[in-house]
Amino acid sequence: MCLNHNENTPNPSHFEESEGNNAPAHRDIAWNEYSELIKGMRFFDPHIHMVSRTTDDYQAMYQAGIVALIEPAFWVGQPRTGLASFKDYYSSLVGWERFRSSQFGIKHYCTMGLNSREANNEPLAEQVMEILPLYAYKEGVVGIGEIGFDDQTPAEEKYYRLQLELAKKANLPVQIHTPHRDKKKGTERSMAIALEHGLDPSWVIVDHNNEETVKSVLDQGFYAAFTIYPFTKMGNERMVKVVEQYGPERIMVNSAADWGISDPLAIPKTAALMKMRGISDETIKKVTYQNAIDAFGKSGQIDVSDFEQPTESDHTAKFHGNSILRGGQQPVANKNSLLIQ
Amino acid sequence: MIFAIQNELNFMSAFIQKILWEIINQNASETETSWLTQKSNSEPLELMTAFVACPRFLSKKLIIVKPETASQLNEAIAGFSVEGWSLVRLARVWLLTHLDASDKETYIKHINTLFDTAEMNELVALYSALPILTYPEQWLFRATDAVRSNMGFVFDAIALRNPYPAKYFNEAAWNQLVMKTIFNDKPIHFIDGLNERQNKNLALILSDFAHERWAAGRSVAPQVWRLTSSFLDETLLSDIQHLLKSGNIENQQVAAIASVESGYQPAIDLLAQYPELKKAVASNELTWADFETKDLNTYVPKP
Repeated sequence: MCLNHNENTPNPSHFEESEGNNAPAHRDIAWNEYSELIKGMRFFDPHIHMVSRTTDDYQAMYQAGIVALIEPAFWVGQPRTGLASFKDYYSSLVGWERFRSSQFGIKHYCTMGLNSREANNEPLAEQVMEILPLYAYKEGVVGIGEIGFDDQTPAEEKYYRLQLELAKKANLPVQIHTPHRDKKKGTERSMAIALEHGLDPSWVIVDHNNEETVKSVLDQGFYAAFTIYPFTKMGNERMVKVVEQYGPERIMVNSAADWGISDPLAIPKTAALMKMRGISDETIKKVTYQNAIDAFGKSGQIDVSDFEQPTESDHTAKFHGNSILRGGQQPVANKNSLLIQ
Repeated sequence: MIFAIQNELNFMSAFIQKILWEIINQNASETETSWLTQKSNSEPLELMTAFVACPRFLSKKLIIVKPETASQLNEAIAGFSVEGWSLVRLARVWLLTHLDASDKETYIKHINTLFDTAEMNELVALYSALPILTYPEQWLFRATDAVRSNMGFVFDAIALRNPYPAKYFNEAAWNQLVMKTIFNDKPIHFIDGLNERQNKNLALILSDFAHERWAAGRSVAPQVWRLTSSFLDETLLSDIQHLLKSGNIENQQVAAIASVESGYQPAIDLLAQYPELKKAVASNELTWADFETKDLNTYVPKP
């Protein structure tokens, strides 16, 4: 079942496949060097896997202006062996992780889906498809995702198509994961199938684009998401060039931070870089905030008033309509102190 | 006899259902109420799906409850309150009252399915509904599981303003609930049945807990000492003494209230050294209500 083709490299991650060049495309930049540049900006990360991240990340994200995020259902690093672990994972996306995020003042949404790798375990995939509708309709579920192709097998295609139908029925946007290998063809194929099923391309977010795929995605009316992921995917300097070339319409940036070497601050850093390069605030806002809200907001599940008023002390209360209690906002410990109190 | 009790229960749940519907009507639009009416009359699976889908059809807002309606609810089931609820939470609980309970096994299976696949706000609605669900004793394990939850809102749904635990929890489970409320810096005066379910074991656990906190240089919310006054003995008296000598005025005040309330002679003798505190308590100038703080933070050491 393991489809990882480069077992020899350390830290096989969400984006385990390199495109031949392992030179870091990520710019070294310290918080105190860019915090002024992005002061007052609000960010929305439409793709990040918080179950794999620490509380330090949550605090850094909040500090950097990330007010809301989307956690797509994905592969957990090794194949699941039974339905119950899928069920518990899905429940955690709308339960514990959502609560954990709220404790740090960040609004948490998710997309629900059967990822492409595990679509290849057909007996299990069959069972997952039976319970998936139960989760698709839940509050705060803003799409079906991340789905699509990995190895581009017949089984992957079968469950991709079934889930496109579920998205149509539930009136939800679709978040498409594009493959690492044979990417260009895989991306085209994903889009063609979505159109064949009658999906409106403006309801479909094609993820993990690069310079080679973006034009066709935008030309056909889809949203193009870019993952800023060190070493193996887009570096943010390249991202700036893409925005300079294509403009801000239907383009969004995400971190896809997960259990591999990745950066939960990819969006604020990219925004700072754009600012340095003289890109307008309006454009920066579109690609790091507004476009994601417009695309996934079609689910009817995003109410911006949940995260647009910065009433810091009352964050958790607002999320849950409960004004009585503070609900245990996490205190901020001083990380520069040797003493732990 | 059993039949009579069952009848009374049915009557009660019909009454509750009626009041909840009144509140919904006062807070929802016509489109919303007609969607709810239609779903409440549907087959179990459709009704359960509606329970899940409520946020997609109902506006996201807090409900307003008239005082007379609130007291009607409280008369029907002592301690049951919908204050501070959202419309979605209320509608979900109301939908649950429409689930056919005539076949016990099927009913329990359906409720369990909802629990097993619930997201956080659904869990909150399910736990809020425990006092009005049929076969209440069936949900005891679920209820104790909610106390184990680290999701604050789920914990609150069972622990605060919910009459179920006081009625069905045994002493150990009850004490765990109260201690976890204190441990999580939540306001114990919202626990329904707090006074009625006081017990000596709880007072002693609380004493040990306070010692750990003090050893760590942390504090304990002053109002928790109300749980000790009925059980003052030599051990607890040394805590009262510690509070009186702490130099913290709130600690001294609660120690004074507990001492007077206890009627325990050594405590009253001890208080004689603090005539002003004694007087304030005797004249009802100081009561527990003065310490019912909502926003606690006992973990961060005070300078």
